Amino acid sequence: METLITFLRLVLLSMVPFVLASQGTMLGGRTGIFNVAQEGIMLLGASLGFLVSYQVGNNFVGMLAAMAAGAVFGLLLAYFTTTLKMNQFFIGLSLFFIGVGLSTLLPKLIIGITLSPPLIPTLPEVSIPLLSQIPLLGPILFRQNGLVYFSIVLSLLLWYFLYRTQRGLELRAVGENPMTADSLGINVVRARYWTAILGGALIGLAGAYLPMVYTGTFTEAMTRGRGWLAIALTFFGGWSPLTILTGSLFFAGVEVLAFRAQVIGLALPYQYLLMVPYLATILIMILTFRKARVPAFLGQNYDREKRNL
Amino acid sequence: MEKQPILELRNIRKTFDKLVALDDVSFSLLPGEIHGLLGGNGAGKTTLMNILYGLYRKDQGDIYLNGEKIEIHGPRDALNRGIGMVHQHFLQISNYTVLENIVLGTGITHRYTMKLEPETRKVEELCQRFGLPVDLNAVISTLPIGTRQKVEILKALYRGVKILILDEPTTNLTPQEVDALFESLRVMVNDGLSIVFITHKLREVLSVCDRITVLREGRNITTLDRKDASEDVFVRAMVGEQMNIEKSVYFARDTKTFGEVDTTAAPILRLSQVNLISKEGVPRLKDVSFDIFPGEIFGIAGVAGNGQRELAEVAAGIVPPTSGKIEQNGKDVTGLPVAERLRRGLSYIPEDRLHDGFLPKASVAQNLILGVHRQRPTATAASSTGKRSTRKPASRLASTTSKPADRKNPAAISPAATFSG
Repeated sequence: METLITFLRLVLLSMVPFVLASQGTMLGGRTGIFNVAQEGIMLLGASLGFLVSYQVGNNFVGMLAAMAAGAVFGLLLAYFTTTLKMNQFFIGLSLFFIGVGLSTLLPKLIIGITLSPPLIPTLPEVSIPLLSQIPLLGPILFRQNGLVYFSIVLSLLLWYFLYRTQRGLELRAVGENPMTADSLGINVVRARYWTAILGGALIGLAGAYLPMVYTGTFTEAMTRGRGWLAIALTFFGGWSPLTILTGSLFFAGVEVLAFRAQVIGLALPYQYLLMVPYLATILIMILTFRKARVPAFLGQNYDREKRNL
Repeated sequence: MEKQPILELRNIRKTFDKLVALDDVSFSLLPGEIHGLLGGNGAGKTTLMNILYGLYRKDQGDIYLNGEKIEIHGPRDALNRGIGMVHQHFLQISNYTVLENIVLGTGITHRYTMKLEPETRKVEELCQRFGLPVDLNAVISTLPIGTRQKVEILKALYRGVKILILDEPTTNLTPQEVDALFESLRVMVNDGLSIVFITHKLREVLSVCDRITVLREGRNITTLDRKDASEDVFVRAMVGEQMNIEKSVYFARDTKTFGEVDTTAAPILRLSQVNLISKEGVPRLKDVSFDIFPGEIFGIAGVAGNGQRELAEVAAGIVPPTSGKIEQNGKDVTGLPVAERLRRGLSYIPEDRLHDGFLPKASVAQNLILGVHRQRPTATAASSTGKRSTRKPASRLASTTSKPADRKNPAAISPAATFSG
């Protein structure tokens, strides 16, 4: 019993970077902007989030810095694709490389090389009064760090916004058929900008989570492909906030299982266990990809002046 | 006394690169009339109305609404001034419901709960008043073309437009649907709307319009009251005086009469017991069998969405049938790829030409040779010159093929997407 509770607690804990990065991806995609720089933005968020927390001595400020960096990358993506109408994948991959490069450069510039890794305090557990006393559910759901709650609330809010408000209806229309949206007076360009920026901020925050919860420090390539997995997860979740939330549980579950198997010491080289999340992803994608509902205009740029589409 | 026009376009000029699409065109719309805008493909009808709706910017000319000069910078301006347009290719979100499409972009009463009761009531009232029955909760992609057009008209009416532009509204409608549409248009006009009706179909114009303006090659030729003019006058105005109508290729090329199909000959295309089950598991074709004989025009009737498109795609080899046999010239071609069917003399003009028929960015010449580019004249010509270019033979093919249509474009090398219907 105790093992199960611990397992589920860890699943919820590890779900956060997936939720944040995928919701960020989803948000941009809903207006047609397909971000593929997640891995780079997350690494930069992890690096910058850690550095700022370390220097300022406040994790929250570190998170804000990571979000700001992500937002700048989102802004760049929106500018190059929406205003300059350049290829989204080309720009996305460029931003990915810039993010990776900066993430390793910044610690060397700011802290330099040290014997023992510099550490920041990890995020504290926030127990919710009364609710955390419920047997079973209490420890799993209500004794977590603040970002666990945030990611769940964010997912619910995003769902409500997209499907229960006028702005949400308009926003989804932009990603489905921007020409129609434009012909009805909806500002396509503005929608693409703000979703790309906010989406980038969420992805940056997803990166900052790693040093602030798992390790207390930044190490190179510490995202270990979670950014790429977030793209797969977004497809798996049908570009819909609630399905992404449940999908994140699954991805986190596989990650925790693979980690547990390592700790227990299965008679397998640990490299095989490291592969498990990615193999599971490929399998899931094969099984679900055909049915996945994708915004119709995903990855494309809109130009009103062009005759016919 | 003459009525004041509600809308006037004066001396409009519009060019796309070197192509002059509109040259000094003027147009006026009287309140409460249905005004037909008539002309062949490429005459500039749609371009003119797209300028009015703010989708294109005019090079020269003025727009007057109720005698006052206005500028229209985008669709929003047009809608705010009470001008609505139903495009030939509908602007709809295909995975939204009818109601969502209609209210999209307008102020919703309960904007933070999306409870759409007030909007539903308003739309239902419009449906009833104008005789446009539509299931408001149906998802657009499940609806036939005729219903989607009603949705498009409702979108404009919901926004309270005073002037409604309909671009080729009868394309893809059944005769019954056309009649219903015309009745609705009459109701709208009686309700105080003014309507511009773009078409190249003369009979429709004569049956529904009050006045008719004819465009040809980007110029306006004439504007006439319906009662003042015969069909013949309009045909002459549309195609120009220089063309001898009676002997024109459009109207009578072959003297072949009906009833001459030799059904004892070997069928040129035979479908036997063809079944098709769609990806979603829905049966689309059930035991379809027929023969088509040489020299025959074989019609397939039915309301849109009952398998015509699937039948055509199966016959052309684009979609393999789930079961059944297809024979071309007596030989089984059921499993053969499209390229092989084409080589054996089949040609396919898809229903949705814009999406399935051609490459919008490629030139007319490239589009024409696409599909036949493997065959000898083009393939050898290209390889014998030693260049990996098909431009020359392709242009030659294009110029011979397009001559009858008398395109005013530097046709062969223009991107295909720049043409209208």
